[in-house]
Order: sequence, then C-alpha cells, then structure tokens
Amino acid sequence: MDPLTRHNVKVSGRGERVMMFAHGFGCDQNMWRFVAPAFEETHKVVLFDHVGCGGADSSAYDGQRHSALRGYADDVVEIARALGVADGIYVGHSVSAMIGILAARSAPELFGRLVLIGPSPCYINDGDYRGGFERSDIEELMTFMDSNFLGWSAALTPQIMGNSERPELAEELNNSFCRTDPDIAKRFARVTFLSDNRSDLEGVTAPVLILQCSDDLIAPDSVGAYVHERLPQSALVKLEATGHCPNLSAPEETIEAIRAWI
Amino acid sequence: MTGSKLPDFDDETLYEDAPCGYLATRPDGEVIRVNRTFLRWTGYSAKELHGTRFQDKLTLAGRIYHETHFAPLLRMQGAISELALDFVCKDGARLPTLVNTVQKTDPDGRPIVNLTTIFDARDRRRYEQDLLGARDSARQAASELQRLNSELEQRIAAAVEERLKAEDALRQAQKMEAIGQLTGGVAHDFNNLLTLVIGGLDLIDRQLPSQPPGPGTERIRRARDAAMEGARRAAKLTQHLLAFARRQPLQPKLLEINRLIREISDMLRRTLGEQVELEAVLGGGLWNVEADPVQLENAILNLAVNARDAMGAGGKLTIETHNASLDDSYVEGIPEGLRPGQYVMIAVSDTGCGMALDTQAKVFEPFFTTKEVGKGTGLGLSQVYGFVRQSGGHVRIYSELGVGTSVKIYLPRARAGVKAERRESNVEPTAIRGDERILLVEDHEDLREHVAGILADLGYQVTATADGPSALAAIEEGSDFDLLLTDVILPGGMNGRQIATRALQLRPRLKVLFMTGYTQNAIVHDGRLDAGVALISKPFTYDQLGAKVRAQLDGLSVSFAT
Repeated sequence: MDPLTRHNVKVSGRGERVMMFAHGFGCDQNMWRFVAPAFEETHKVVLFDHVGCGGADSSAYDGQRHSALRGYADDVVEIARALGVADGIYVGHSVSAMIGILAARSAPELFGRLVLIGPSPCYINDGDYRGGFERSDIEELMTFMDSNFLGWSAALTPQIMGNSERPELAEELNNSFCRTDPDIAKRFARVTFLSDNRSDLEGVTAPVLILQCSDDLIAPDSVGAYVHERLPQSALVKLEATGHCPNLSAPEETIEAIRAWI
Repeated sequence: MTGSKLPDFDDETLYEDAPCGYLATRPDGEVIRVNRTFLRWTGYSAKELHGTRFQDKLTLAGRIYHETHFAPLLRMQGAISELALDFVCKDGARLPTLVNTVQKTDPDGRPIVNLTTIFDARDRRRYEQDLLGARDSARQAASELQRLNSELEQRIAAAVEERLKAEDALRQAQKMEAIGQLTGGVAHDFNNLLTLVIGGLDLIDRQLPSQPPGPGTERIRRARDAAMEGARRAAKLTQHLLAFARRQPLQPKLLEINRLIREISDMLRRTLGEQVELEAVLGGGLWNVEADPVQLENAILNLAVNARDAMGAGGKLTIETHNASLDDSYVEGIPEGLRPGQYVMIAVSDTGCGMALDTQAKVFEPFFTTKEVGKGTGLGLSQVYGFVRQSGGHVRIYSELGVGTSVKIYLPRARAGVKAERRESNVEPTAIRGDERILLVEDHEDLREHVAGILADLGYQVTATADGPSALAAIEEGSDFDLLLTDVILPGGMNGRQIATRALQLRPRLKVLFMTGYTQNAIVHDGRLDAGVALISKPFTYDQLGAKVRAQLDGLSVSFAT
C-alpha cells in the first residue's frame, strides 16, 4: 500500500512550500483543525495519521518497525518522499516533535524548518535530567488506557466490538475523533513515554522553533529549556496557553507564534 | 413538568445531593463550583477545591491521560462520555470514577465552562479488572494453544521425515538384499565351476613337466597360464560381487592401520607408477580397528587405482589417517545408518580430474564405471563400499571437478580387550601330503570328484558323500575319520554346519574344514566368521587345498567349537 493511503494523508492549501503537521499520542490529524487551515493560503498543508490512529491502516502496524520512534520517523520520511517534499516545514506536536527530529536526521533534505510543540526527548527522570515521570507512572497509564478502551472508546471502534460486519456502525462512529486501535495505542504509549532520544538532538542543522506551553505536565519548562540548549539553532517561545495542547486550547497564539517565525 | 412540589427537593438539594459528583470548571480546569456528593466522596472542602484545577486532583497517570485524551477530545467534540479517571482523595485514597463532561461555548465557539458529572466506578473498575484479567488469561491460553499447535506440526513433520528416511533406508536395504541374493547365487555356482576350471589347469600344470619339451608343450603352457590368469580374474570378480553384496566371509583381525599402510606402500608405489607421488600422513596415537586385512588392502588398492586413473598427467596421492568421533548430528545425515562413536578415518585423496555431483551419487553402485569399456569392471568402489559397510563403517566421497577427489573410510574403533595378533604368514607348508582319513561332503558331482582326486593324489584316504545323511551314516558305520571337509550349502535338509555339529557329537576329536563359494548365515554372522571356524573359499588351487587341509589336521588353526 502506498504511504499516502496507508497514513490517510490529506493535502490542501494553495501555497508552494509544504507544511506537514504531525499529531501526537492520543489523537489524530483532527487535532490540527483549528491551526492548519490558517496556513492554507500560503502553504501546501499536509495532514496524516500515524499507524493505529485515526484513518491510518492498522494492518500497516509492524511490531518490529514501530517498537521505536525511529519506525514512526521512517513513516514520515516515506510520506514526505511520496509527496516529493523538499525544504518543507515540519510541525510536530508532543511525541511527533521528536519523530520530526529523527526524520530530519535521516533525511535532512526534506524539511528546512522544524516547529516542535511541547517536545520531550525523554519523559522519565534520569539523574539530573527531570523528564517529569517515573517508570511506574507509565505502567499505571497503561491500566487507564485499558479501562478507557473498555469504556467509551470500546464503543467507538468496530474492530473492538467484533462488529466489522456492521459497517453502518463504523459510519456512525466516524463522527468521533481520535479513533485508535487499543493494542497499538498502548504500544505507542509505551514507545513514546519510555523513549530516550536525547542523543538524537545532536547534529540537527535545520532551524527549530520550540513552542513551550505554560504549566505543561507532559513537557515541563525544564524539558523545553533542555531541548533549546541542545539545539543551538533553535528559538524557544513560551506560550501563555496552559496544558499540553495549545493547538486546541490556544490556536490563535499557536498560529501567530509559528507564522512569526516562518 | 407538573406535580406536587416537595419542599425537600429544591434545585439546590437536587444539585448538592445528586447521586453523582458535579463540577463546574473553567476551560483550563479551574474549579468554579463543586457539589456536596463529590466533597463527601473525596473528603475535600469546597474551599480547598475552589481555584485549583480539577485535573490536579487526579492520579499522575490520570493527569497524563487528561492531557493526551480528555482535553483534546473535549475541545474537538464539545463533550466526553464515560472517561475513566481516578481521583486522589484528601486522605490519599483513590476514587475510581467515570467522567462525563460537556463544554459550553460562546457564540464564536470559544469555550466558557466545562460541566462535569462524576460517577463512583469502584465496582465497575473491579469488574473491569476481572474482565481484563480474563482477557489476558484467554490471550495467554490462545497463544499457548498456538504454540502447542505449531509444536505439534513440527513434531508431525519431523516424524514424517523420519519415517520417509526409514523407508528410504529400508528400500536401500531391500535393494542390497536382492542384489545380494542374486550375486550370492551366481557366485556359488560360479565358484564351483571355477574350482573345476582351476583344478583342470592345475592338473595340466602338474602333468606338463613329464611331457617332452617342444613348441607344442610350450604352447600348452602359455595357454594354461593365460587360462589360469583368466580364471583368477573371474574369481576376483565374483569376490568383488560378494563384497558389494556384503556376503563375503570377512576374517576381521585387530589391525594397526598405519602399519598396514606402511606394509603396502611399496605395492602402492608400483601400482601408481612414476607419474604419481605418494604421500602418507599418518596420525599419531591411532586407535586399532577390527577388520579383514586382506579386504582393507584391496579397498585401499582399489582407491589408489581409481586415483591413478583420474590423474592421467600425474599428480599426488595422499593417504591420511586420524581418529574421528562421529556424533549424533553427523550420523543422522547418513541415510543407510551408522552408530555414533569412535572411528578411525583413512582418507585417500588425489589431485585428479574430480567428479560431477551426479557421478558422485552413483560411484558406489556395482558396474558403474567412468572408464572406457574394458578398462574397468565398475566393481572397485563397490568393493570398498560393501567391505566398509559390512565392517560396520562408513564411506564418504568428496570431489570437485578439476581439483580432485577424496574418499574417506571410517572403520569402528576396536572393542577394548581384543588382542592384536600378527598377520598370518603366507608361507604355505612345504609338506602338504598326508595319509589321514578324510570325510568329504560336496553335492556338486564334478567338484566332489575333483576334490576327492586332489586329496587322494596327496595321499589321503577319502570317503566322498553328497549330503549330510550319507556323511553321518558313514561316520556311524564306524569309520574313524580325522577330518570332515564339507561344503556349507547342501541339499538333503542339512547344511554344513549342522553336519559338523552332529559329527562332532559322534566323534569329538574330529577336525572340521568348510569350503564355500559364498556363505549364508550358516557359519557367518554379521559378516564375520564364527569363532573357531576354518574355511577355504572356492575357487581354490590344488596347493591351496592341500595346505589348508594339512594345517587343519596339524591343529594350526583352532578346532571348530560347537
């Protein structure tokens, strides 16, 4: 299957330069709905879903390939190459920030600029490095995910209910956002929160914009500062928006910060 | 709604004492209002909660989930139903809940307030955990089942393969058995005839000196010599056939292989000619083997001859020996079967033209030859194969076109406790005559007369019989024989062995000598002569028979044990 179908790629906009938006853990491309349209006038906007999320093909999930963020980065590279992207702008939220770093390292010609929203190269505390979490927190998160897949989200995805022969149910559920395959989502959570890509920050040459939210539990200020320090060519912009998803909670501020920089 | 208004159920009470927690929060989570039920469940006061964000009262994992799922979903959908989240109560206890939230927005779509109901989900969460546990067990069982299934498949595949291998080996064994029956039968008759032919030629030889010399006698001598050579080659051919069929009576002795190779090296050099260099790389501390020395010499010689023919323009022949331990994994690859254990390896390698794979597959088959018609019998390697297999060993061939061929013979290490013996001297007794009484049993009439003639000629008193009953009758009549000379395969219901057993019961001091063209199981077991059995192989010459009879009468060989 070609990468554009596999990742449910949507292309819009009237501009020349590609702006590729990558969603983070827990969501799909819908999370860009308040931000991406703002760039359609000036850019060619590319949205996609990671495997196991949204409308991506779950069967493309490869336990081996996707056992590390590098596999997700390879997916990004494949999508960009299939679209003939050169010197594009990559906008990655949350875990997709580091996925973008990895993609830029392996194929520097694809993206001339990187926008990282709430990046964290390592979520687990390690000596002096404060990622914000202990390993046990992540294990507990898995339990939550199980409970929630049994609850509301279990009702949302036909494959969980074993009702794949009832397509009207899937149709009905298309209104819901952030559809995920529970097993893949759990594994994605593990890969995300147990990743340590601090050493991959070395050698990234493209200019980088770091958007740091206030009071972000997932990527605290100290982590944003760490990333900024390790990327000499980066700019750090502290948003007034709180939480981990400024693209949803404060789209205007997010748009403005990006636009000002590019 | 109409109806009687109950004073206790005003809006305030409905809100405060509803059977669920109720929270009003700002879009960022800051608590604006909270009902009594929630305060009762969590132990907080309203004051303690006002101004804090509701997500700050979640477990850390719950807060992660809030950030990654709850907040973005609520913003996108405007509502969330039945999200599982755990609150941390004031006393540190956990309150598992199910949360429903709606987001109120202004006319521009900007969120103003979130309204949240919180249901106590302690029972439900426990039930969920049970369910999850059951699911995990089911998954584990399924994967265990899958593992067992695939293991079963593997086991079946292995069993089938083993079965096919066994069938292959059986087919090969049956083929060998059939060829053995055929060649054995032919060899038996053929050896009888050859004994007559050689006997006739012997007679000519002995009579010639008494004839007047002249061109006529000289022609007879040359013709006799040529006929004798032909008969010898015919005898060798039958011997090779028997060797391949593993029907030759082997006489295994404890051998030091390195010594045997040194002893035959002169003969090998002569065979190889000047064009071929001979090198022996003889391993130190070599174990002894139990094998028939004559047949082993033949095998090495056959390999040397093949090597020489493969090196038309000269080359080098290397004979190498060393100890080898063949393990289970090695012997598994041998379709005809082999016991794992200790072996002595003899490798005969040349630098000749080598063989293609399809040729390698056929070289051990009888009558297969790559040599020109008339140049080879196609039985050389068959002899090697038959002899080595009959000796409990194994032959392997390695060959590469243009590089050379290496044939490796593996013979089993001698059992402990077997004592070495010097090879028998080939010097035949000069005096082969005698006057003892010999009882001859031979069903083939011409042969009987011929053998009786030789023995009489040598001075013995011969009683010739055609089968067991008449031979035993002769003994019972009172004749005191010194030696029983009997064929092995006989008509009349008794084979040679049975006759000997009965005769020894009647005359315990009787000496026994068997003669045979090929042997079935009467006196040979597992390809080895039974201990104490004396045997002369057909065809034999006048002198050979004379020498063997004399030696047996003089007790040079041990007597036949019943």
